[in-house]
Amino acid sequence: MPVRKAARWLAGLSVALAALGVAGAAHAQDKKIKIGVIFDLTGPLAGGGSELQYTGVKIMLDHYAKTGVDGYKVEAVYADAQSKPDIAINEAVRLLEQEKVDMVMGFFSSAQCVPVAARVDQMKRFMWITTCISSGVFDGKNYKYVFRPQAAGNQYGMMTTDFIAQYSMSKFGKEPKDLRVAIIHEDGAYGVDVAKGNEAGAKKAGFNVVLKEGYSATAPDLSALVTKLKRAKPDVIFHTGYNPDITLLFRQAREQGLKFGAIVGHGAGYGVYEKLKEGLGADANYLFNTDPISIWLANQNGMDAKLPPVIKMVGEAFDRLKPGVPIRSAHVGIGAANAYVFLDDVLPRAIKKYGGIDPEALRKAALDTDIPEGGTMLGYGVKFYGEGEQYAGQNARSFPVVLQYIDDKSYVVWPKSQMQRETVLPLPAGTTYSYK
Amino acid sequence: MQSFLDIFDIYLLEAVINGILLGGVLALLALGLNLIFGVIDVTWICYAELVMIGMYGMYYLVQVFHLPYWAAAPLVILLVALLGAALHFLVIAPLLTAPPINQLLATGGVLFILQSFATVAFGIDFRNLGIRLPVLALGEMNFSYARLLSFGAALVGMVGVYLFLTRTFTGTAIRAIAQDRQIMPLMGVDPKRIYLVTSAIGGGLAGLAACLLVLQYDVHPFVGLSFGPITFLICVLGGLGNFIGGFIAAFVFAEIISLGGLFSDLEWGYVLAFAFFIVMMFIRPAGLLARRS
Repeated sequence: MPVRKAARWLAGLSVALAALGVAGAAHAQDKKIKIGVIFDLTGPLAGGGSELQYTGVKIMLDHYAKTGVDGYKVEAVYADAQSKPDIAINEAVRLLEQEKVDMVMGFFSSAQCVPVAARVDQMKRFMWITTCISSGVFDGKNYKYVFRPQAAGNQYGMMTTDFIAQYSMSKFGKEPKDLRVAIIHEDGAYGVDVAKGNEAGAKKAGFNVVLKEGYSATAPDLSALVTKLKRAKPDVIFHTGYNPDITLLFRQAREQGLKFGAIVGHGAGYGVYEKLKEGLGADANYLFNTDPISIWLANQNGMDAKLPPVIKMVGEAFDRLKPGVPIRSAHVGIGAANAYVFLDDVLPRAIKKYGGIDPEALRKAALDTDIPEGGTMLGYGVKFYGEGEQYAGQNARSFPVVLQYIDDKSYVVWPKSQMQRETVLPLPAGTTYSYK
Repeated sequence: MQSFLDIFDIYLLEAVINGILLGGVLALLALGLNLIFGVIDVTWICYAELVMIGMYGMYYLVQVFHLPYWAAAPLVILLVALLGAALHFLVIAPLLTAPPINQLLATGGVLFILQSFATVAFGIDFRNLGIRLPVLALGEMNFSYARLLSFGAALVGMVGVYLFLTRTFTGTAIRAIAQDRQIMPLMGVDPKRIYLVTSAIGGGLAGLAACLLVLQYDVHPFVGLSFGPITFLICVLGGLGNFIGGFIAAFVFAEIISLGGLFSDLEWGYVLAFAFFIVMMFIRPAGLLARRS
């Protein structure tokens, strides 16, 4: 009898344990992080690169929705900023207050990032910026809950002036002080910030700045700007723009006979090669774009071994979504890579080390981030400037690279550490804009 | 003194001529909008969006269905003319006796419908016709044939509309109904038919503008934002419904933008143009060519 009694006890205990296990599993499944994702899916910015960035972030979030992160389900709620800063702010607040998301992620336009970051930090909620680059988002703001692994706009501007300064003598046959450069930019937060970097870099290099001017990205006519460029006769034009204005500038430059040695772009519209090709035809050849390196071009030898399969996964997902695109957009890679840093590094630490996903845990986990160079798909490392620093929340280890489109392929041509081929500078004789 | 004289160079002349060519583009856009307002007394806020639909029409006919440009253009003009007639029949006609603000809001609603429709139907990508016209080179100055074409079309369109309005029975009826919409039915004119014809012509002019703008600009669902507000301001500056006024206002506006942009920042060109508009609204609220009452 005692044996039977013991067996009954054992069976009862087993059932109780199993029930507890099921309840525990059910509890683990109940845990989830809701991430609000905001990009421009309509309006002029959508086709200017925002939709591609959204695609990259979505690929990564869809992947983690299947696997979860340390017992947490990942659920994304998407919103369209409609290329308008006021809508971006409203959507961020709506997602946080009504949809009850735990954090917000994304943001293409710097004009949106600046006010949204201020609002979200004021609400003491967590914000992870994957895309926009204006250094004005962080400069002197000392935010506690806003973080950005992406490179900053002034770095873009400085990188391109560095690049041209390096080749001033060897390619243009001129001392930097004799090199005539023009800085033109769309006049939103993004263009102004990159142009500031260009100006600081030009000053450092000692360039002769013959024109610096902003314009509205929706301006219906840029012929007066082209005429001024003709009058200023620059060797190199540093240009920051979105997409419709980039093609309009090039079209009017061709029609008005503007000639130069090189034009160097800084992300956004310059990062969407197929659109440049469609709008400019053969004139898209030899254009420069400055952006974080395309994840498909990054040197995988020096990269963390876990990253190449992720890059492959993103590439295959992109090909399924947009078959037949000649160059996989760097925008997609940027969105995916920066979302991955959060999901693979910051979020697990918040859960394991700081006990959850509340803004304080996410903030502490983000501040602990210490990824060395080569530890992200974009090649750079991640370490955020801490509280009290001028750029608190900005990644101190990020950097863009200068890419050149040559014969429908994209190559890193600067900095030297990442260089994949010798740059073609200035524009070869016989090309539409060449002043040779 | 020398530095002052330095500004009178070849580039100044180029800017002046570019201003005239931009004026042609704007005048072409203002033509149809002025016609509609002059006759029906309704402002189509969605006019630039009709142009956008026409630009998509050109893109698909030329790039997807491989029609030659010259064959696609009449089809697009016809398509947008039909759209204009449909807009009148479905939206404006039921609101003809409603307060002007209701009519304005209704066409504003159509603006958002057309933008959203284009986003859903054609996607958010920028589309390019892929036609590159040659350039007219005069010494150091270069001019776009696409803009010269627009300029020519604006002139021809202007003369054509004038001749139609003055030399045909329908045109005379249109002018008559614009002067007194109550009395004309008593004289045997069917106002419904006249309004429909006028809307179709207005739409056709938007289609013509689309055929020429697509040579100069990428088409995307929001391309109307670049032109809509300026076109409206030009019509108001010229005197809503006044063709000659609108035509002159387009060139005045374009020259201020072009020369203002040359002598200062590009943005200042637009600021000066809008400041000029505001000042003129104080001095001549009924438009540039309005007689003082």
